[in-house]
Amino acid sequence: MTEYILAKYNYWIYVVLMMIGLYAMMGKRNLVKKLIGMNIFQTSIILLFVSTGVKKGGATVPILMHAGHEHGAQLIQVSDYLNPLPHVLMLTAIVVSIATTGVALATLILIYKRYHTLEEDEILAIRRESRAYKTPRILNPTD
Amino acid sequence: MRNWFKLISMAAVIITGALLIYGTHDMPAWGDPDSPANSHVSPRYITEATKKTATPNIVSAVLADYRSYDTLGESAVIFTASISCFFLLRRIRNKEDHND
Repeated sequence: MTEYILAKYNYWIYVVLMMIGLYAMMGKRNLVKKLIGMNIFQTSIILLFVSTGVKKGGATVPILMHAGHEHGAQLIQVSDYLNPLPHVLMLTAIVVSIATTGVALATLILIYKRYHTLEEDEILAIRRESRAYKTPRILNPTD
Repeated sequence: MRNWFKLISMAAVIITGALLIYGTHDMPAWGDPDSPANSHVSPRYITEATKKTATPNIVSAVLADYRSYDTLGESAVIFTASISCFFLLRRIRNKEDHND
């Protein structure tokens, strides 16, 4: 039983992180909290993929030692180096998550300038009210 | 109304988490050197990458040599994001404002 927990507890940590992010995206009404929930979700996925590259038993980072020597290529033991492929793919995923977060934060700044709030239900109430009275509530974007 | 929505979303999150934890039963053990992810294609990269690309860092070799089109697309993503941030956040000034 203890062996089973030690072999699987990393996945459970990522599942709990993913639940936190998913609840923040669904249950919270502040848009910034929703965005940070999406970030937590992405972080849990990245951690899950990076953890598949782990090799126990003395493996180090995938930078070859003795790479300059002529006969060094014969000495490469696969079990000495971590799996490099999840690291590369998650590098790409981190870049994409940074890009989406930046664009979303810029959009949130515009939403705040337009509605003077970041609470989802207040924004919906303002939109509903302006639609009911047929007077588009145009706020001056500079104030 | 709001509390009902929070309860429903909490239930959905817990059901999703329970299904995922049930799914980890089939996942390989943490740090297993013989897991499918570690034994299928990555040994070839570890043994061949330095010979083929003359780079001791395998992550750099895969990122910038084997998958360089991927990295090119990634830089396009960054460029698109920065351009859209610029167009979202810029201020349009009138000519009267420009004088003072």
